[in-house]
Amino acid sequence: MLRAMSKPLIFVWKDFIEEASYKLSFAMQIFGIISSTLIYFFISRLFGGVGVAYLKPYGGNYFSFVLIGVAFFSYLGVSISGISSSIREGQKLGTLEALLVTQTDIPTIIISSSLYSFLWATFKVAVYLFLGVVVFGIDMGQANLAGAFLILLLTITSFTSVGILSASFVMILKKGDPVGWLFTSLSALLGGLYYPISVLPEWLRHVSYLLPVTYALEGMRLALLKGNSLRELLFPNIMVLLIFSCLLMPLSIFIFGHAVRRAKKEGSLTHY
Amino acid sequence: MEGMMGNFNKDKMTCSIETWNLSKSFTIIKTYRDLLLHPFRKKEIAALREVNISVKQGEFFALLGPNGAGKTTLIKILSTLILPSSGKAFVGGFDVATHDREVRRKIGYVVSDERSFYWRLTGRQNLTFFSALNNLPAGDAAERIKRLLQLVELERDADRVFKDYSTGMRQKLAIARGLLTDPDIIFMDEPTKALDPLIAHHIRGLVKERVMGERKRSVIYATHNLREAEELCDRMAIISNGAIRYTGTVDALKNEYRQGARYIVKVRHAGNGLLDKIKAIPSIKSLSLHTNGSSHDYIQFEMELETGNGNMSHIINELSKTGGKVASFYEKEPTLEEVFSRVVSREG
Repeated sequence: MLRAMSKPLIFVWKDFIEEASYKLSFAMQIFGIISSTLIYFFISRLFGGVGVAYLKPYGGNYFSFVLIGVAFFSYLGVSISGISSSIREGQKLGTLEALLVTQTDIPTIIISSSLYSFLWATFKVAVYLFLGVVVFGIDMGQANLAGAFLILLLTITSFTSVGILSASFVMILKKGDPVGWLFTSLSALLGGLYYPISVLPEWLRHVSYLLPVTYALEGMRLALLKGNSLRELLFPNIMVLLIFSCLLMPLSIFIFGHAVRRAKKEGSLTHY
Repeated sequence: MEGMMGNFNKDKMTCSIETWNLSKSFTIIKTYRDLLLHPFRKKEIAALREVNISVKQGEFFALLGPNGAGKTTLIKILSTLILPSSGKAFVGGFDVATHDREVRRKIGYVVSDERSFYWRLTGRQNLTFFSALNNLPAGDAAERIKRLLQLVELERDADRVFKDYSTGMRQKLAIARGLLTDPDIIFMDEPTKALDPLIAHHIRGLVKERVMGERKRSVIYATHNLREAEELCDRMAIISNGAIRYTGTVDALKNEYRQGARYIVKVRHAGNGLLDKIKAIPSIKSLSLHTNGSSHDYIQFEMELETGNGNMSHIINELSKTGGKVASFYEKEPTLEEVFSRVVSREG
């Protein structure tokens, strides 16, 4: 068990050393978070009370709505692109071959490779929330942190499933992964990132119900801004995210295993 | 146990690595034209054809072949990175296609590609990372890494970042990584590729004296360098166009592929027209002049005799009749290069 735990940690240790060696990059990313937070703040000031009716279920404030959306949407980005880009990077750099002849299974290698990105995304979320609450005065006094944590776990599980699916395509196609592209684009457009899905035409709203991100962002906002209880969050948000996770995780692992076997047959496991 | 070697006699149990009619074909990426005209037609290229080799425990086995012969494909199959198209391959008694985990526990893999390391980590950090992935407990790993760094003479540079290493140092670190788990079986894929002759010689010495000196292991060493194969291996296989053309020792190979015997002859007091007279001796197939001594004092030449015409006293007599005095006469060993080109051209 300890040994199994040590492998993801050694990846985090390795990635941290690598990242820390690029000194300017860290400062630039923090600056990016601050500047985007300011942009959303000024946009919310510009529109003021416009669209309050749409935002009422989340407290009526656009700034808090969009900040939570942007912060937690970064998990989707990491889940979708983190896993596939770790494969792609390994293929391009040449490290994947050296990893694959070790005594560590491919799924552990792939998931562990993206762990640092998840931790970095968590740090970014913390910075967003810190700026929102401390600097810009977002009220999260009644936040249901346990509910938010549960939703976060289910969000990561369901997003990661899609990420593994996307990685399967990268394993075979190398470049041009349709799953990641389609899922990220649709999620940004229809998942309620910048605007509530209630502004969408009805037929598009039905499409948004098919995306886990819709329930993840909705649940997160209700838990943090409105302090909804677990029972209130359970249906539909927690329930649907749970169903997505239960369906997508085994499916994506099965497809990924198939992709690895095919790449081994084709001899393209480490090609790029 | 399913997947372990089945019909195996006692003698064969001493084999660390064995392949049975191992073949591998790769599908060629289609051009847009092919995609349009023949969307369902597969284009394949054979990388390995019915390869049969067996490497005994503790044996240093060279896989010798030109670029593109199939050496890397074979090593990648044995390392579980590629699945064979047909045939079987067993490493440490386990089928590489069905028991890849067990195989990876038995092997060390030394790649020549320096990109397989993390360039912004130090040498020691790289080894620490790979030792964790190979299930080495942290305490044991630190001790093992220290010993390996000494073994490959990198202890003083262990804490420098990998990107600052020279090519030779990177290759040494690759060897240390291959030895992390103290494996019984090591695959080395052209470890001296891209090294200058001096460093390559040093690495060969390191492999021979230290890696093999540490303890007896089975090694498959892929190379296109004939000297390397001759210097290091117990036995070798020559591979060309995906097929094994020869398996055996270097000496046996030289004997087997010896054509007409070649001799170096030095004749003193060589008068005018001596060479023409020698050329006229019936059993001499060809003759080439090596040196011509000053003032026609002596000549040295290489001659090839017809196969089967090995009566030396007859030849020496004939040479004496030409008017010169035979000062030395010895058989020339065929070089590995000559033998190699004969093997490849004859079977190719």
